Amino acid sequence: MSIVLSVTDYSLTYAGGAQALIGVSLAIPRGRVLGVVGESGSGKTSLAYAIMRYLPAGAVEAGGPIRLGETDLRTLSQAQMREIRGARIGMVFQDPSASLNPTLTLGEQLIEVLTRHKGLRGAEARDRAEALLVRVGLRDPAAMLRRYPHEASGGEKQRVVIASAFAAEPECLLLDEPTTALDVITARQILDLFAELQAETGVAALYISHDLALVSRVADRVTVLHRGRVVEEDAADEVFRAPREDYTRRLVAAVPRPDVRLVADTPDTTAAPLLAAEDMTVRYGRPSLFRRAPQTTGARDVSLLVRPGEILGVVGESGSGKSTIARALAGLNPFEGAVRLGARRIERTSAMDRAYRRAVQIVFQHPDASLNPRHSIGRILSRPLALYGAPEGVGRGDAIAALLEEVQLPASYARRYPHQLSGGETQRVAIARAFAARPSLVICDEITSSLDVSIQAQVIALLLRLRERLGTAYLFITHDLNLVRQIAHRIAVMYRGELVELSDAGTLGGPASHDYTRALLQAVPTPAGV
Amino acid sequence: MPDLLRRLLRTPQGAIGLAIILAALVMAIAGTSIAPYSPEQFHPRARFGGPSAAFWLGTDQFGRDLFSRLLAGARATLFYALAATLLGTAAGAVLGTLSAFLGGLVDEVLMRIVDAVMAIPNLLFTLLIVTVLGASGVNALIAIGIAFTPGMARVTRSVALTVRRQDYVAAAIARGESSGYIVLREMLPNVVGPIVVEATIRVAFAVMALATLSFLGLGAQPPSSEWGLMVAEARPYLFRNAWMMIVPGFAIALVAIAFNLFGDGLRDALNPRT
Repeated sequence: MSIVLSVTDYSLTYAGGAQALIGVSLAIPRGRVLGVVGESGSGKTSLAYAIMRYLPAGAVEAGGPIRLGETDLRTLSQAQMREIRGARIGMVFQDPSASLNPTLTLGEQLIEVLTRHKGLRGAEARDRAEALLVRVGLRDPAAMLRRYPHEASGGEKQRVVIASAFAAEPECLLLDEPTTALDVITARQILDLFAELQAETGVAALYISHDLALVSRVADRVTVLHRGRVVEEDAADEVFRAPREDYTRRLVAAVPRPDVRLVADTPDTTAAPLLAAEDMTVRYGRPSLFRRAPQTTGARDVSLLVRPGEILGVVGESGSGKSTIARALAGLNPFEGAVRLGARRIERTSAMDRAYRRAVQIVFQHPDASLNPRHSIGRILSRPLALYGAPEGVGRGDAIAALLEEVQLPASYARRYPHQLSGGETQRVAIARAFAARPSLVICDEITSSLDVSIQAQVIALLLRLRERLGTAYLFITHDLNLVRQIAHRIAVMYRGELVELSDAGTLGGPASHDYTRALLQAVPTPAGV
Repeated sequence: MPDLLRRLLRTPQGAIGLAIILAALVMAIAGTSIAPYSPEQFHPRARFGGPSAAFWLGTDQFGRDLFSRLLAGARATLFYALAATLLGTAAGAVLGTLSAFLGGLVDEVLMRIVDAVMAIPNLLFTLLIVTVLGASGVNALIAIGIAFTPGMARVTRSVALTVRRQDYVAAAIARGESSGYIVLREMLPNVVGPIVVEATIRVAFAVMALATLSFLGLGAQPPSSEWGLMVAEARPYLFRNAWMMIVPGFAIALVAIAFNLFGDGLRDALNPRT
């Protein structure tokens, strides 16, 4: 079998002395897909850039060749490389809206590829472009060619990007997290499309992702990268079922598997609800002096309740209204309908008093954005203590140290600033801040989505430990169905602003389930070999 | 902070601006004690003198030493300009951040008022305020501060709008912080960078505006040696001794340019990517 792309014992060091890649070797035969998996900082994106020859000034390379067919890409000039990019190597990046030029129509961008690399002109190029769009599953290709990127959805844009990657009939494709920015169902469609086109054209592909479960589905072989080194390379299902290296084993163990429950107890279903939303509707739009507010509905007539100590999962794609509900319950969005906390009925955000805000805390998705960069960790944690009081007989400083210890951070971190901590550590601080008020419900709004899978597992373990000790209930919002099925007692499914289903975690997706729920469950990549 | 200073000094504008400003500050602080004469001492035999060994920059119509008067006037000019800018910046920053935080109708009304005020030419507006308050150095300072407020509020609001969307502001609202705490402690520290740059450039305008007001007789009053007033007093004698006008005029221009350069340098230093 002929090798299309090969990298042999390749090392890369950046100007600051950071070693991005150390002795990396890989080879992709024609018609095969090699998955590259690694956490942030593992060097997987550096690898893609090295192959594409997009290296920053001062980067030092060592070791063997990067061969495309017979050509060593390292020896080519930038001008020669421009002839190769797009023509012999195609690329698909994570965010389709960033890789398309917003000021050109989709047609202009696709036709440019055909003109440049295939030498097609005029009507010929247009016909070919339309045929390509039909091939990637876009229904009205002529209309799509006339649209600008902002007039197409994320999935449609990524289809166009894939069409232009395949347009020049390249020998090799690089895909860097091509579905990470997309919704679960759209991501699944894009993956299926890629698999189909790949089989049809026999292109060799390098598929980079942080998602081990997903890669094990797409790729024939998987290479696991860790801190710039290849840790393990094997057939995809082998890596997942029988990982040989310690690091891979930990990585595989951290991947959420819906069949492994992490929470054993069940909350008392006869207990009075802790918090309930009753026919909650949230509208967006800012009124101006001369104009009534334009009414965009973020969520419509949502009713749900959380029992004491319960974990209620809320899932849905982006724009489904799951975060809208979370922010309304935290008193950040005005709403219609009512919220009930214990016996109290609250109908306006302004009626959420100190007692409510203390009882209901929220943790956000991006810890970098939710911690004020100008405040030290100590100061961040001291605010809820100042508002709601430290525990009896404990000084402010000791209380902060105790909070940090609770989330397994050293007390000395109180003097540090958020930018001096890693992503996982800042999210722990955000959790500590939420628990400082000793709440009865914590709303977790996608709190692990920006974290690596191993860090995610640690944060989840921390949350479960805190719940066990303090009996806190969680409203756990996520797009990760596998994760939520591991921990939630009940799961609410939201779709286009409405709550379409609310059922026990065990019965989710059963015959009584909503069509959307079943579509969602089918789209989720479950790890190979499970 | 030392890192910022190093980047600032690496830009030529920043280094030159900072050097001139430091020199001017030394003049303002130590001026009267290093001056060779008292700024109000008459030398009747040496009226309308050009630069000489005894009087380095010449003398005025009463034979007062221009160099000594320049040093003494630095304090009035520089400190008043800085104070006026500080006043305008602080008021504008709080107003702009508050407007961005509250949003909705309050924001709309505040910003339309700002628009209306900004439609009046700045100097005219300053003159109006001084006329109402009465002519004096302190009133000129207050007038310039007020005249700066709408512009600063505008700049601050646009920065604060992006800060407003950050989750740490949402987190503060969710835990029940007061609006005052959120505006002053959570948001303001994060909008300070662009404001500092804008404020430094505005000091140059303040120096000019103060000099203008004094020149028109609405700011500092004789026998003060505020630089604008020195220029005004030199006007009738322009053809007998041009040094009387050149010396303070040049000083005003130099300080204004220095603050402009410093502001440019600071902007580059705060944005390493541009």
